[in-house]
Amino acid sequence: MSRILDALRPAYARAWVRIRGNMRVKTWLLWEVVLPTIFMASVIYAYHNLDAPRIFIGFVVVGTMMMNFWFNVLWGMGNVLYWEKETGNLEVYLLSNRPIYMLLLGMALGGMLNTGIRSLAILLIGILVFGAEFNAAGLLPATLVFLLTLAALYSLGLMFSSLHLVYGRKGIRINEVLGDPISFLSGQYYPISVFPTLLQAVASLLPLTIGLDGVRRALLLGEGMENLYIHLAGLGIMTLILLPLGIWILNRMVEKGRRDGRLIMRWL
Amino acid sequence: METAIKTIDLVREFKTSKGVFRALDGVNLEIPSGMIYGLLGPNGAGKTTLIRILSTLLLPTSGDAYVGGYHVVREASKVRSIINLVSGGERPGYGILTTRENLIYYAMLYGYSRREAERRVEEVSQLIGLDEFMNKRLNELSTGMVQKYSLARGLLNNPRILFLDEPTLGLDVENARSIRRLIRRLVDEGYIETILLTSHYMHEVEELCDRVAIIHRGRIIEEGTVEELKERVSSHVIYELTLQGSNGNLDFLRELDSVIGYKVRLSNVPGEARLRIIMAYEDISRVISLLERKMYRVRRIVRDEISLEDVFLKLVGRGLDE
Repeated sequence: MSRILDALRPAYARAWVRIRGNMRVKTWLLWEVVLPTIFMASVIYAYHNLDAPRIFIGFVVVGTMMMNFWFNVLWGMGNVLYWEKETGNLEVYLLSNRPIYMLLLGMALGGMLNTGIRSLAILLIGILVFGAEFNAAGLLPATLVFLLTLAALYSLGLMFSSLHLVYGRKGIRINEVLGDPISFLSGQYYPISVFPTLLQAVASLLPLTIGLDGVRRALLLGEGMENLYIHLAGLGIMTLILLPLGIWILNRMVEKGRRDGRLIMRWL
Repeated sequence: METAIKTIDLVREFKTSKGVFRALDGVNLEIPSGMIYGLLGPNGAGKTTLIRILSTLLLPTSGDAYVGGYHVVREASKVRSIINLVSGGERPGYGILTTRENLIYYAMLYGYSRREAERRVEEVSQLIGLDEFMNKRLNELSTGMVQKYSLARGLLNNPRILFLDEPTLGLDVENARSIRRLIRRLVDEGYIETILLTSHYMHEVEELCDRVAIIHRGRIIEEGTVEELKERVSSHVIYELTLQGSNGNLDFLRELDSVIGYKVRLSNVPGEARLRIIMAYEDISRVISLLERKMYRVRRIVRDEISLEDVFLKLVGRGLDE
């Protein structure tokens, strides 16, 4: 037990720093809630104008909430090692003799908490301001699907951080390439059934698409575990593949970085 | 005496757009424990590359290196458990957090529990003299305080061997002096067993280091105590001249067989320059006539004592910062 706690210490330390840092300047919450809310409002008003069923309000709120996590994976976790390298922190991490994925785990946990607070604020705005309605019976399956989605997404983040480690500033392009297209494909504001079949097939390979669909089914339609086991299994399998793969790639990239000097030489 | 650090034919090459650049070219070093060892060399000489290899952050292209008896590639984890590295001019940490919070964070990374980390941070802050800055945000600290903070961070894991890469880089005279005093104290009072310090400040190395290696273009070109190194140029003649007049380079001085090396520095007086020249034998009259032929006016001539800078001048033929 003490060995597990010891191994988790760097993750706790990194999460602690992240949460503490965010809490120091509380205005972050305002900006990071206000901006997504504006986009969310515009889509809700569009649906309203089209006389779409009321369920679409909840649909958009869930999409906005979960998309926050995707952007957190990309911008808060994916490129973290690049920034840590630029500030000299990466050297300190490497010298600490701890597995670097533990630091990323800490980053992920801190990010999840901060993003969770943001998403909760958006949920409340969705309910109180826009009148979104959710089915309380779907809370447990929705939570399960949501947690598995996070596990799969942050495992992907582990892989992205390796790419940023190798490609440095150019890695930011990865975020740009993945940000909006994934948001488009996963159906942030609309059901992916509107896509042609081929695009639907591609979209259904994304953990975010599965997660969004599962959470919406549970919270909006009240579907239970009996209807969501495919979502849960899909996300579980994705996590089981992506997590070890992410750790393996990260370790390989750290070794490659030690070999070619990219870990420490800022010009590389 | 036990060996703290040993390198055998250490080579490190980097691939660049212009081809392969050899940063270290067969470095052989043996550093005994219990001392401050200086690695002196100009920018780009290979000091940082060597220190990064010894601290396991970079792999050598070939050759071997041992720190505390452990191989830096095969036993990297064991090496990391007994070392730490502090780089001058860097500010690792999070500006929005206080000095204390940053140090607690790093201490936790090194495996301390939150409570142990707080205790360790207090110990180290007292040792370094950081107490009054502990509740200040990192981005509010002066450069000198940041360097003290970095030193404190380097002590958190109680390392046996500490690597200091240009520890006074960018500091003013007073802060640099204060950091040097701290470094000396760490070894003298037994907090750190061995320090390997890189610098391109001669006086720093002269003041602090028990032994010195001079590194140039990736090779160790001289090694010994400061006194031993000076002794090796004791038969040479050193003058410092104050010049006025023609500016530009003084390469014509190399026409004289007696001239081994020289260094020119601008004086505080406009139009004046200081020339430090090292000669194999007494030949100052020919130097002066040559200067005068080239339209220089020699305002002042002083025969000087040998310094570490002269050792470098003799070995490389130019000053460290040229």
